[in-house]
Amino acid sequence: MLDLNLMNVAITGLGAISAAGGNLSETLETFGLGKRNAAPVSLFPTSLKHPSFEVQKIPEEWNRGGSRTLQLALCATNEALEDAGIKGDVSSLRVGVCFGTTAASQLNDVDFYRAYRETGTLRMDSVDRFLKGNLAEVVAHTFDLHGPAAVVVNACTSGADAIGMALSWLRNDVCDVAVAGGSDELNLIALSGFASLGILSESLCAPYDRNRKGLNLGEGAGVLVLESEAVYSARGAKPKRYLMGYGSSSDAYHLTAPRPDGTGLESALRTALNEANIKPDDVSFVNAHGTATLDNDKIEGAVFTKVFGKGTKFLSTKGFTGHTLGAAGGLEAVFTTAALDVGWIPASAGFNCQDEEIGISPVSERTPIAGRYAVSTSLAFGGNNSALVIASAE
Amino acid sequence: MMSSQLKGMNIAGMGVVFTGGRGLASLDTSLRQGFAPPQMSKSTALKGSIPAYRVPEHILKDKSVLKGFRRADRFCRMAVLAAWDAVQDSGVIFEAGSSSLGIIMASALGPHSTTFGFLDNVIDYGDNNVSPKLFSHSVHNTATFYIAKVLDSRGPCTTLTQFAFSFHEALIAAEAWLAEGRCDYVLVGGVDETHTVMEHISAQKLRIANDGRIRQFDFSETPIAAPGEGAVFFLVTRQPTDKPHCRFASASTFDTKEIAKRPDIRMVDADGMAGSESPYRGLDWRDVYAAGYSPIFGSTMIGTGFHCAAAALMLKGQLRYACPIKDNPHGLRLCERTEPASIERIECVRFNCLGKKASVVLTR
Amino acid sequence: MNGIDDNRLKETRAKLKELLVTGLELEDVTPDEIADDEALFGEGLGLDSLDAVEIVVILERHFGLKIKDMSTGRKAFQSIDTLAKYVCDNTPSKED
Repeated sequence: MLDLNLMNVAITGLGAISAAGGNLSETLETFGLGKRNAAPVSLFPTSLKHPSFEVQKIPEEWNRGGSRTLQLALCATNEALEDAGIKGDVSSLRVGVCFGTTAASQLNDVDFYRAYRETGTLRMDSVDRFLKGNLAEVVAHTFDLHGPAAVVVNACTSGADAIGMALSWLRNDVCDVAVAGGSDELNLIALSGFASLGILSESLCAPYDRNRKGLNLGEGAGVLVLESEAVYSARGAKPKRYLMGYGSSSDAYHLTAPRPDGTGLESALRTALNEANIKPDDVSFVNAHGTATLDNDKIEGAVFTKVFGKGTKFLSTKGFTGHTLGAAGGLEAVFTTAALDVGWIPASAGFNCQDEEIGISPVSERTPIAGRYAVSTSLAFGGNNSALVIASAE
Repeated sequence: MMSSQLKGMNIAGMGVVFTGGRGLASLDTSLRQGFAPPQMSKSTALKGSIPAYRVPEHILKDKSVLKGFRRADRFCRMAVLAAWDAVQDSGVIFEAGSSSLGIIMASALGPHSTTFGFLDNVIDYGDNNVSPKLFSHSVHNTATFYIAKVLDSRGPCTTLTQFAFSFHEALIAAEAWLAEGRCDYVLVGGVDETHTVMEHISAQKLRIANDGRIRQFDFSETPIAAPGEGAVFFLVTRQPTDKPHCRFASASTFDTKEIAKRPDIRMVDADGMAGSESPYRGLDWRDVYAAGYSPIFGSTMIGTGFHCAAAALMLKGQLRYACPIKDNPHGLRLCERTEPASIERIECVRFNCLGKKASVVLTR
Repeated sequence: MNGIDDNRLKETRAKLKELLVTGLELEDVTPDEIADDEALFGEGLGLDSLDAVEIVVILERHFGLKIKDMSTGRKAFQSIDTLAKYVCDNTPSKED
């Protein structure tokens, strides 16, 4: 059983970069306006013309020879650390770094491999970029942070699970502060892979809509700064919000399909709610995984109905960012926290008409939220389900 | 972790797959037999061959455990077999659908032979005609899916990747999960594979021991490596267990001041994979036996996992295995012979390419 | 019967069985052991959703067929029989 007498973990900094904006305030503006910045891929040559959500511009200062995924991670981390007010000398603190990703974990560079196949030569610039590109290690090195460092590679729950890992570190006093989230670039591997699975939409994605045709890919990074309340208070500040709970479960069902009865997701949700010591009725809204694939939205919808009831407010932000894979859990935790800060959630972009098979609908306009608690869910290939509970201070 | 609340965990079961075979008996046999030269892996690109401590194919064909896993690649098969064996070894029975088991797997390079197979697809057939099966197996967490599936385990499950210290981070995470009560047991382990592209990269980036003789006590600035592969898993718990192998007393990837209680044996993961090994010279070697068994399983970023398995056998059996390669230019007190010994504490040390130290301590 | 001759169907069926066994890495079944009318999914051969999208790739690579809409796929992917008919209906025969 979970020990509910757990320490409080404060969320003290937020950073986000995606197609919806280069930082959090730009992102909220995009959400408010309902703007969807998607277009066919321009980052690399491809025959696949599906709409995709590319980051418009990464500030040049983060281009230090590393991968695009790393640049995105550095950019969002910088914003989150500034937001938390702990940039500069943090040598007295043990600061852990935990990142979720898919792209940065592999040497999946087509040009490199083509050259190797054709001529047997290894382009060492690609090799070095890979070997010097471990997100957690490089982020820690760049911002001079000393503590545990880990990269979580759980496909589409990576970002959420990285935040869960950081929560475990803090609760067990492995570190005082943690930088946690996810980062992923749009690349050809994911694009062609998801296309082959038949779940990429040729039109703009429509999470929870009756006529949804699959997901759009995106890219970005979302980062939280987490601190034990004691450490934060010692800096003379009172936390404004908390990371209250994390739940994770595996389906043990199928590599690329969620368990049809949704019990995996339900178990993750209930674990997270238990850790937070709250009831489903306490939750003011859910930031759903909502990829806009037939299966995902159907199962998530059924589980939300079962756990929270038919009237629950929920949305998918993937209509604004695309599916950012390893970054999704990080970005959506940032969006969930920011929504509690500003007191509203945006319309669930792309939704028009209810799917009778799902039976519930996401919010279709900008909606005020009351209450302290919110939930963010993530599901992944491999059968991982994860849920985070975030709360604003009383 | 010096200052953390983590207090260690029992090793209830272990499983290994390595070049010498599958299971603890094979590991014990290989450790007793000592050095055996690796097979040579042909590389057309190099116009030659590279020694590689590869896992023989026949080991990965277990039809009873892997039944229904027709799509699983070598990487996943190694992981599943070692994880399954660790549970069997413990005698702990997990009910189908149980959430009391967590799974944490570490891998430096992931299933890269499948990743390169997927790139072959992109190049050969175009980006609109690739195999979804290859794509779904080219990600790191496919192996943990298969492990959860074979055990029908519904608890939390995560895969970590880093070059030098992912096994250490996995141990820290496992302990944290147990301490939080997130699960009662954790299957924690490491998996990595060799493949011609990576062997080729190794040959360019590292010095290769053409005879496979990894010299772990040279502590050279330009050490030599011989790539290896395999999987190693531990079933760990805070609960009392029937016949625990021993305990993981601590794991740390930073803040690794010399521990107050000195180990009886220090194992070095100096296997030529992480640049200069001169930092090992600076360790306090007084009154400590030195050991290293990398030539048994090859140079691999998850070598600490294999060393921990060897350490657990030594603590439980109260014996020292002779080091397979005994070159000893710094005059360390080497484990020279396989012999009974009184052992309370073994430390496994690994430095990464930045000279940062990580350590795992096992106790009786 | 308009065009689809029995020989061509028979050859296509045999070819498909071979492609499925190798392409889907089927265990414990040889091409000869697959019945023409055996259900490919669920009971029967026991294929799943990941096999379905793999078959799409197999059809494209070996027969140049593009299946864009999985509802078409679902009808064609009932059995080796339906699959062979679909292939023959949608690809030119050698004589054409």
